Amino acid sequence: MAAGDPPTGSAARSGTAARLLPPTVPAVELADVSVEFPRRAGPVLRRVDLRLEPGEQLMVFGPSGAGKSTLLQLINGVIPHAVAAQLSGTVRVRGTDTLDTAVAELSRSVGVLVQDPSSAVCLPDVEQELALPLENRAVDPAAISGRIDAALRAVHAGGLRRRKTSELSGGEGQRVALAASLIAEPAVLLLDEPTSMLDAGGIASVREAIGRAVDAYGPAVVLVEHRMDEYAGRRGLAALPGRAVVLGGDGEILLDGPTAEVLTEAATELQARGRWLPLETELRAVFGCPGGLGAEAVRGGLKRLAGVQDGPAQDGPAQGGPAHPLHAPAGPQAHRDVPALQAVGLAVGRTTAGRRRRRRRSSAPATADPGTLLTDIDLAVRPGEIVALLGANGTGKTSLLLTLAGLLEPAAGQVMGARPGMVFQNPEHQFVAGTVRGELGYGLGPGSEPVVEQLLRQHRLEHLADQNPFRLSGGEKRRLSVAAMLAHPRPALLADEPCFGLDRRAAIAMMESFRQAAAAGRAILFSTHDLRTAATVAHRAVVVADGTVIADGPVFDVLARSVVMARAGLALPALLEWLLETFETPDRMRAVLAGLDAAVPRGGEERGA
Amino acid sequence: MSAGIEPRRFTDSPLGRRNPTVKLALLFAVSLALLFVFDPVTPAALYVLALTAVAASARIPARVLLLSHIPFVGFGLGLLVVNALSRPGTTVWEVAGLGVTTEGLSVGASLGLRSMVIGVLSIGFVASTDGVALMASLHQHARLGVRMTYAVLAGYRMLQEMPAEWQTIRSAHAVRAPLHPNGRPRGGMRSFGRSAFALLVVSLRRGERMAQSLESRGLGLGPRTTWRPVPLGRADGWLAVAVLLAIALVFAASAAMGFWEGGGSLFTGHLDT
Repeated sequence: MAAGDPPTGSAARSGTAARLLPPTVPAVELADVSVEFPRRAGPVLRRVDLRLEPGEQLMVFGPSGAGKSTLLQLINGVIPHAVAAQLSGTVRVRGTDTLDTAVAELSRSVGVLVQDPSSAVCLPDVEQELALPLENRAVDPAAISGRIDAALRAVHAGGLRRRKTSELSGGEGQRVALAASLIAEPAVLLLDEPTSMLDAGGIASVREAIGRAVDAYGPAVVLVEHRMDEYAGRRGLAALPGRAVVLGGDGEILLDGPTAEVLTEAATELQARGRWLPLETELRAVFGCPGGLGAEAVRGGLKRLAGVQDGPAQDGPAQGGPAHPLHAPAGPQAHRDVPALQAVGLAVGRTTAGRRRRRRRSSAPATADPGTLLTDIDLAVRPGEIVALLGANGTGKTSLLLTLAGLLEPAAGQVMGARPGMVFQNPEHQFVAGTVRGELGYGLGPGSEPVVEQLLRQHRLEHLADQNPFRLSGGEKRRLSVAAMLAHPRPALLADEPCFGLDRRAAIAMMESFRQAAAAGRAILFSTHDLRTAATVAHRAVVVADGTVIADGPVFDVLARSVVMARAGLALPALLEWLLETFETPDRMRAVLAGLDAAVPRGGEERGA
Repeated sequence: MSAGIEPRRFTDSPLGRRNPTVKLALLFAVSLALLFVFDPVTPAALYVLALTAVAASARIPARVLLLSHIPFVGFGLGLLVVNALSRPGTTVWEVAGLGVTTEGLSVGASLGLRSMVIGVLSIGFVASTDGVALMASLHQHARLGVRMTYAVLAGYRMLQEMPAEWQTIRSAHAVRAPLHPNGRPRGGMRSFGRSAFALLVVSLRRGERMAQSLESRGLGLGPRTTWRPVPLGRADGWLAVAVLLAIALVFAASAAMGFWEGGGSLFTGHLDT
């Protein structure tokens, strides 16, 4: 984690200041805290007691809606100062009661990184954004420039200093926002899903930046992160904060202790609730034994999932296999030959359809024409086929999908096939009606009621039929946006990071609906930075890097090509690497992945028809 | 991302290097002074002077300067026509039952030229001033509150992103719209309304979260420092003196030569009737 370079002068100063506090004053202290929101039944947090020592690192787990973000908002004072909520008990930050202290005043001790980077970055220039917290704390102007450089370097974003914030990609924005929350060297650092918009490389660099900040300034850290598996990365549990708290669905603290112990104890419970878990914890929940991929018993269990008996490996596809409900996807020979959507010699720019000329210089790297992101793309998606679109942040995956959807004008070449449907990254952008029912029926014309009813059932939206789409939870919104798009009889469906922000159970359900749609003859192309999801569901993978498609083939073949992975900046998760080393055929690998997904209970939700 | 919303700026020019608050104050002062002018000659002279000064000091390409004039010319012509046709006085010419009066022509031309003077100075101001520097300068030199300053800057950033956001929402909706037989999505006013509503909801939420972000960065704490303050120097003083002197001279010359007409001319027509 520590990159080995010495802390800057200012960092050393503030570190000293932090140490001068009497050690008995906790960084954060919650005593008997309950929070209730108007228009919501029951408290979000219930009788929470929590004490965080200076420099201590805490990770918060819990199902969505369990009050993880509420906990962070309590600590930085947004509750009760900016958000209307009924608060009982006391919250103290370094001994100061948050009830009597304004958010700005609390910010002397607390740095925050919120989920959505587009609202975490507030000013037009990156430099200004980073200078603001320092100006507000009356830092000597002569010291500011150096600290901006140091903070950006710490998040591996040194090159972004002179940029306009409006030109940053989502991942770049998240790094700038992280730098802005670190730059004032707060005693308490609150991180609300700091890596949600990042690819594997970005996640590693953010984790490293947090590690460096902790080493340099020694803040107490509260981390809410639902992709723990990705956050932990290759180092597994050791990369996670030392202490973990599990919030139950009713807002109580269920477990509190060292992360490894808490995860061990709660593995089954968290798995049952459909959370993303670090691989080791997940395997423990599935097979009941510790040690992760290193343990013989776990490896044996995985092999059984693949249909391989202990002993000499058998040839041929997995027969019988485990009793999981998912079929291994049909091979490419099952696909009809006429593509549902095809791109020939396609070049992708940033120009919006109907607005061809653009004056502003865009910052696309590595291509000759600064307005062009991708060139020479030949791509076909056939009926019944699921294709994963892989690539690092900012390579133009979204623009490619928009171009294929006919929403961006191709810079060259052409797109053939009937107009496809597309699910956008932010579901809110796509909502057009006042109710879920209306949303599904939009554009279907008269007589569509039975179709709508069937979609409501199939996507488990019946109980929400009369709700406003904007009021749904994140997972529900995404489910709705996919269902609404599938309502249209378009031969191809494009989806931009459809699993972004979903918990594991919701992601599995999403992939299941993709499988169903493909089985019904749709062609599906979705972008993702989650390679495991891609391997689980996709037949084929298309990798975008260096301004073009660098690989296109059966998903496991592509993932096995380490040169391609390295060039695209994609890091193979440990599980996939082990699968590729261990098994010969994609069927077996897929059977393992499907088996692991099948181990996540569906939580009483009825399965779709 | 922010295509088309930002005007092109020419801040690396003599006028661009002047203090934004001083420029804004001078723009205001000139507008104020023009309130007392109702003859066409004085604003015409001021317009020629202002145009020359802006062209010489702001380094705006002639084409841009010319095109930026369009809204002001339109507005000025409107003023001229309305006044010429509606103001009572000596009729010189009859059009479709409406009389064009000398008084009307004179006052209309004066008001039209007035808007041209303010227009050309505004063009010079906008083109030579960075919006961020303006807000920073207003905070430093005009005691604009820090919360207000940063609220405007954050709003400016939201505004920068709005065209892209709008484009995304329109695309997101277009992809769901029923298709024409030719395979392209159907549009229409109602679909615009839906997109506008989505933009409103998304922007409101973002605004709320941005406000929280700003506060949790310590906005509103005192005392604060300013990194890279906007300079206010002797040259800004000279600029102010030069502009005010120029106005005074033009006014004096106009009065001496008998062109000057104050607000009295506005009401002569009324007195006649």
